[in-house]
Amino acid sequence: MLRYAAERLAQAAVIVAFVAAISFALIHLAPGDPFSAAIDNPNVSEAIRERLRVQYGFDRPLPEQFGRYVSQLARGELGWSFSHDRPVRDVLAHTLPNTLLLMSIALVGSFALGILIAVVQVSRRGSATDHVLSGASLLFLSMPDFWLAILALLTFTYWLPIFPVGGAVDPVMHEYLGLGGRILDRIRHLILPALTLTLLASASVARYQRAALIDVLPADFIRTARLKGLTEREILRRHALRNALLPIISLIGLSFPALLTGAVFIERVFAWPGMGYALVNAIASRDYPLVVGAVIIGSIMVMVGSFIADMLYAWADPRLRAH
Amino acid sequence: MRINPLPARGSPLGRTFARVIERRSPRLALAILTAIVLIGLLAPLIAPYDPAAQPDIVRMKDLPPSAAHPFGTDPYSRDVLSRVIYGARLSLLIGVLATVVTVTLGVAFGAIAGYAGGIVDAVMMRILDAFLAIPRLLLLVAILAAWPRLSIGALILFLGLTGWFGLSRIVRGQVLALKHAEFVTAARALGASRRRILLRHLLPNLVSPIVVAATLGVAHVIVLEAGLSFLGIGVPQPGASWGNIIRDGSDQVAALWWMSLFPGLMMVLTVMTLNVLGESLRDAYDRSW
Repeated sequence: MLRYAAERLAQAAVIVAFVAAISFALIHLAPGDPFSAAIDNPNVSEAIRERLRVQYGFDRPLPEQFGRYVSQLARGELGWSFSHDRPVRDVLAHTLPNTLLLMSIALVGSFALGILIAVVQVSRRGSATDHVLSGASLLFLSMPDFWLAILALLTFTYWLPIFPVGGAVDPVMHEYLGLGGRILDRIRHLILPALTLTLLASASVARYQRAALIDVLPADFIRTARLKGLTEREILRRHALRNALLPIISLIGLSFPALLTGAVFIERVFAWPGMGYALVNAIASRDYPLVVGAVIIGSIMVMVGSFIADMLYAWADPRLRAH
Repeated sequence: MRINPLPARGSPLGRTFARVIERRSPRLALAILTAIVLIGLLAPLIAPYDPAAQPDIVRMKDLPPSAAHPFGTDPYSRDVLSRVIYGARLSLLIGVLATVVTVTLGVAFGAIAGYAGGIVDAVMMRILDAFLAIPRLLLLVAILAAWPRLSIGALILFLGLTGWFGLSRIVRGQVLALKHAEFVTAARALGASRRRILLRHLLPNLVSPIVVAATLGVAHVIVLEAGLSFLGIGVPQPGASWGNIIRDGSDQVAALWWMSLFPGLMMVLTVMTLNVLGESLRDAYDRSW
């Protein structure tokens, strides 16, 4: 188990190095540099730009620049965000908690909802309910994240004005609320984005889990349980579901990229002040260091997620635990 | 061993396909998809207006749906219906061409890794792991944000270049499994070259998983392209893509609801039919083993 963890960690380290190399290559393959692209200001003369380039080391040979870049990354330095006028690290540290909040709610919610849908489908296999739920999960799977978010926004903030339009708190009133009021205000703002991301993510969980349950049902131990006289419902809950839960753990690891991607679009639509929103604004304002910083942090998040899922899997599966 | 009552006829892919369209929902999906493809192909004949024309930016902008403009007009006074129709053409074109790139690279990389084996395979798979660790959308954002104002051709290329990792792994697995099959050993014994074994003996056995991956891949690329266009780094203006149209209305989602509703519906319909077809093909192919 420890050896497996060490191997997996070493593999992750190699991948992080690779991601850093790719992002460095992207930065330097792109036309121009931060000082020709980000500061399109006619008042900044070429001489000043040249001085900035020297100051930031853009005049050095590429291998030296790469060395500096890697050592900066190792120290957690991600460069300077031009549009926020502060270090990229600060911008991301400020916005990341909001994204993590959204993603963790959606992670828990989508797995609970997805497994529930799958169990309902399998217990009524072949019925109209099963078909309708299959169709619904395929529909949500086929829906672009930002479009569902826009539909939710249209429906529940304009046509049926139940929820606030966007942001994480009320821009005016939040300051004047008491503690309870502030918490309530945050929850009101959180519901719609979190629900949208949950719905989107639960579709693939439901499809995956339905297939996993159906795979398990012909197994010998299910037949034994049936011969013991257990009802179909008990078999499903006590035997089939337990065995079909193992692949769910690896699905958690696999679902991180989709959750993160979904969060980017949902934050954009609901103006949710997370990392995805910062990324989208960075794209619009050509703040390339912030774009690359968000991409690196996002990739590391995905990697950490899949690492944790692998460890959980190894711990939960007695066959792997023995090794 | 299962004994077929009738000798199998036609190609394996043809048989899979025949089995797919026996069922109702894939048949319906195929019909809808054909209609959307026709709309895309015949866009200049069907669209009531020029998708880029801005007839009167003062008096004809932001018009709600009416008889003259069934899907309304956008903030530049362009006809949204015409843009959605041309959007079908562009989205499908991008989806198909990017998938051609994806399939070519994925099959080549996976087949070489699987057939070579040993250290070459190990290194190639580690490279794949690294690329798979970066979410595709983020990778594309990093690339496209660095090169502002890319042409559609370059966009297609990048969509294709970032999508082949998963398919590569499937192909490698299949090649590894088939490498020591009897018919390959027989071909080798007859003196067939590596290239011939790969192209003439292994590749035909990979057609079904490739077709499945390609069908689902087109759906995925359409969603990705729409997302990128929505973020403003996809199809450049005034090109009409479904994501672009929704972006044009995204500053005033409530006031211009027709700009997100109609292109989104078309997109969901297209992606869903492709997903239904892809999954049915996979089911049919799985059952044929």
